Amino acid sequence: MLSRFHLLAMAALAALRMVIAPAAHAQVQITQLSDVSFGNITALDVDQVRSQSLCAFSGLLGGRYSITATGSGTGNAFTLSNGSAALPYEVQWSGTAGRTSGTNLAAGAPLSGQTMALSCPLLQATNASLIVVLRGTALTSAQAGNYSGVLTLILAAN
Amino acid sequence: MAKLQRNSVRFPAAVRSKAIVAALGVLLAATPAMASSNGTLGATSTGTVTITASVANRAQITGLTDVAFTNVDPSATATQAQNNCVWSNTATRGYSITATGSGTSGAFTLGNGALSVPYSVQWSASTGQTSGTALTSGTALAGLTSTAANPICSTSPNTTSSLVISIAANNLQSMVSATSYTGTLTLLVTPQ
Repeated sequence: MLSRFHLLAMAALAALRMVIAPAAHAQVQITQLSDVSFGNITALDVDQVRSQSLCAFSGLLGGRYSITATGSGTGNAFTLSNGSAALPYEVQWSGTAGRTSGTNLAAGAPLSGQTMALSCPLLQATNASLIVVLRGTALTSAQAGNYSGVLTLILAAN
Repeated sequence: MAKLQRNSVRFPAAVRSKAIVAALGVLLAATPAMASSNGTLGATSTGTVTITASVANRAQITGLTDVAFTNVDPSATATQAQNNCVWSNTATRGYSITATGSGTSGAFTLGNGALSVPYSVQWSASTGQTSGTALTSGTALAGLTSTAANPICSTSPNTTSSLVISIAANNLQSMVSATSYTGTLTLLVTPQ
């Protein structure tokens, strides 16, 4: 005959195992990323938007994940460089493929609470969208020239 | 990998094979010749994307106003100066300016039917000037530099340059009184 204390302890241990077990084995993966090219921009007063669909897989219960983006600018800022001048850009994320707008990401700050709708790439080729925006206000302030930068995306179980 | 299987919806083998082949096809199609990198399976997964953009050379002139010489004294040269905004996005902020009139072959002349009177045009890359470099119709004045922070000078400096238009006294004296002469001056700014 188990005491009430034992029953409570067992329930607590079971709950703890449920919490810990998925985290211990949670695997995530971000794939299907492509480079972003804005080409030669001539309409400087118009926002330039590039979006791509990609695969964000999370093995965590419910397919939950967080996404963190960092740029190659000073302090991981989202800026492109031409060697002497910087051109800021914005990064947005959507947990759905095929989107041209999403939630703005701040450099280095995780966007948590994202959910993988369907396993990717087995059940669908892509399940999320990465959107990069060059604002017209930034373009008209920018020096003419060729800019480049690297955007790093870190997917984590959340 | 065990976790992968537990979280996946199970499909018949044939369907799984097709799905895997399709997925591999998508992966292979996206892979070649890109500097982007996909993440690996792990507790965290890091991918990178290279972003490139080329900003074209552009220039803009704004803040121009019409010029009116009204009831001028023909004994002295009449001059009208105005400040305007020239923006250039090149590394040096350089630009050239070319002016053309509406007279024959782009001449700087005002007219009224068969009547015509010449005027002169000067340009200064500084604001607040009442004289500058004389422009020749259709000939670019190069080597100028803008101080504008944006295309329409909405932030300081609000003006960057001066346009000066004059009608010499001898030309004023050749005009018919109480007669209106008009013309159009076109200014072309080119980034350098």
